[in-house]
Amino acid sequence: MTPAGDSLDSQHLLSESAFAAKLCLPLIRSAQNADGGWGFQAGLQSRVEPTCWAILALRAHESTASSGEVPARGLEFLQKAQLANGSWPAAAEESSGSWVTVLACWVLAADAQAREAVAAGVKWICNDWPHDSATWRRWRARLFSHRNITEQNDSYRGWGWTPHTSSWVEPTSLALILLASTPVKLLPKGAARRRELARCMLYDRMCPGGGWNCGNPMVYGVAGEPLIVPTVWALLALRDEPKRPEFVMSLDWLERNIGNARGAASLALARIGMEAGGRKWPQGATTIAEMYSRNEFLQNIAVASWACLASCPRHEWLRGGVAESC
Amino acid sequence: MRKPDIALVPSFQRTASRVAIRRAVNYQQDLPAVIYQTLRVFELPVKGKTVLLKPNLVGFDPLCEMNTHPYVIAATRESFLRLGAAQVLIGDGPAMDRDTEAIIESVRLREFTGPLGGIFVDLNLDDVKRVVLSTHASRLKELYLPKTALGVDFLVSMPKLKTHHWAGVTLSLKNMFGIVPGSCYGWPKNVLHWAGIDKSILDINAALRPDFAIVDGIVGMEGNGPIQGTPKPCGVLVLGDDPVAVDATCCRVMGLRPEKVKYLNAAGTLLGHVDAAKIQQLGETVASVRTPFAVLDEFKELREPEGGVWN
Repeated sequence: MTPAGDSLDSQHLLSESAFAAKLCLPLIRSAQNADGGWGFQAGLQSRVEPTCWAILALRAHESTASSGEVPARGLEFLQKAQLANGSWPAAAEESSGSWVTVLACWVLAADAQAREAVAAGVKWICNDWPHDSATWRRWRARLFSHRNITEQNDSYRGWGWTPHTSSWVEPTSLALILLASTPVKLLPKGAARRRELARCMLYDRMCPGGGWNCGNPMVYGVAGEPLIVPTVWALLALRDEPKRPEFVMSLDWLERNIGNARGAASLALARIGMEAGGRKWPQGATTIAEMYSRNEFLQNIAVASWACLASCPRHEWLRGGVAESC
Repeated sequence: MRKPDIALVPSFQRTASRVAIRRAVNYQQDLPAVIYQTLRVFELPVKGKTVLLKPNLVGFDPLCEMNTHPYVIAATRESFLRLGAAQVLIGDGPAMDRDTEAIIESVRLREFTGPLGGIFVDLNLDDVKRVVLSTHASRLKELYLPKTALGVDFLVSMPKLKTHHWAGVTLSLKNMFGIVPGSCYGWPKNVLHWAGIDKSILDINAALRPDFAIVDGIVGMEGNGPIQGTPKPCGVLVLGDDPVAVDATCCRVMGLRPEKVKYLNAAGTLLGHVDAAKIQQLGETVASVRTPFAVLDEFKELREPEGGVWN
């Protein structure tokens, strides 16, 4: 990329940042519920996932004490939502934990007073093994299965969306991002092995030409189509090996497919993935602001939050702890 | 608000179902007229009511090969409004990609319906309510389901006519997987696979049985569906007041035996009619539109025997 290209990229980022400040942040702030949390849209019940994205976005853009009150109330909501076993539920009424435990730990890790809560959450995550890849199940599958549906190595194990199910790319990637930024003293025994198995699982589940979908690279011998959202999370989880061929191939796939992004979620996350991979944003690509004008993000708070995070250079928020303000 | 207790009725107590087959050779036809005229025949209780259309939106699909065609969705919406519905929502919770906007933009839904604000509901992200499952077909005891789907007066399942590599066929009953919210169960909704796809289909439909079904069979999909199959022109819309009967009829149109589709056969006991004798056929006959669909070898037992013809 030429210096002129650098300049263009900076201008683009600046315009995205202005868009985030003018439109996304007010949208997020105004959607906060009385209990401190956020629903997926304004007026919907508070849930752990949108609350986490909203807090990350607000933290990344705001630094003054007064503006910090909004995320602080969100943190209180998160702490109250934790279940007795250390996990967090996807919806308020649910009594069992889910993948959103990763997000809650990620967000609360910046709060010194939440250290015990985070440690309990991380312990729950590390003890939550998917059941599809249990030894007895793999043995049984080899013995009895006559349908070779997928071609993947089930000895690699990541994380599922819900406990005791199968490993999938997005929850595995998010768990890896969390564990990479968690202080060693908070990690339970065996966390290193889980990370290694999960990394192997992600590489194993990569689609043949690079990129990831939910976790089915081949079904009945037919190559699965990668998708932007899981590809970005996997790239972020594996970004400490940027020269590995799988990483480069997947980043190439992402770069080639930015023009195919049809939703603001994909576009915002693609922006984050490209930046984390050290690539420049292509000249003339659709902007998030243009995407907003189509459907107003379907009023999705998570997407508005990703749009905010995409406008932050350096992406400190990915490293855990308190983020620098943009 | 819908009455949940009408979902489960033993087939011997259930009155005959009505299914209409309408020819529609392509997506350039006047579908609003075709659908409106057909819906009028059913005299549906939708005046002043809130209707939810639940299409099958599974993935990025600029050619509309795997998703319910947006023109069919828009034409149905227009028809229900003409019939006096107070509000007609469109909602789905895609299973494989959490960027729902990307899917609906790829099929150009907005071009057919107009702005989606206040019309489209992402069922993956809606508020949820705990629903205790009374049928116990699968090992699931409860599901958290979207309040919008639970709260509307009239629910319409609008699948694409497709074969499915795990369930055999995916029609109006299997389409109801899309109401299970990804925000609770993930992308894909893996708990349903673990509980058994066939059995989960029964539990979900018993908990929230569609009041009506409209199948987009103008161009369907055969072989390795629901995503990687081959487009199959079939030239029909299949509409009916019993989703089981609609699915059974669609199987017959596809040259498949509905009794051999595990979940459909089981659904025929309590959720609706599979038996052709209990289905009042309107419009075209099955035989006149029958278009055999290819299935994977695992499902070859679904195929009708050579020469098998329905009325």
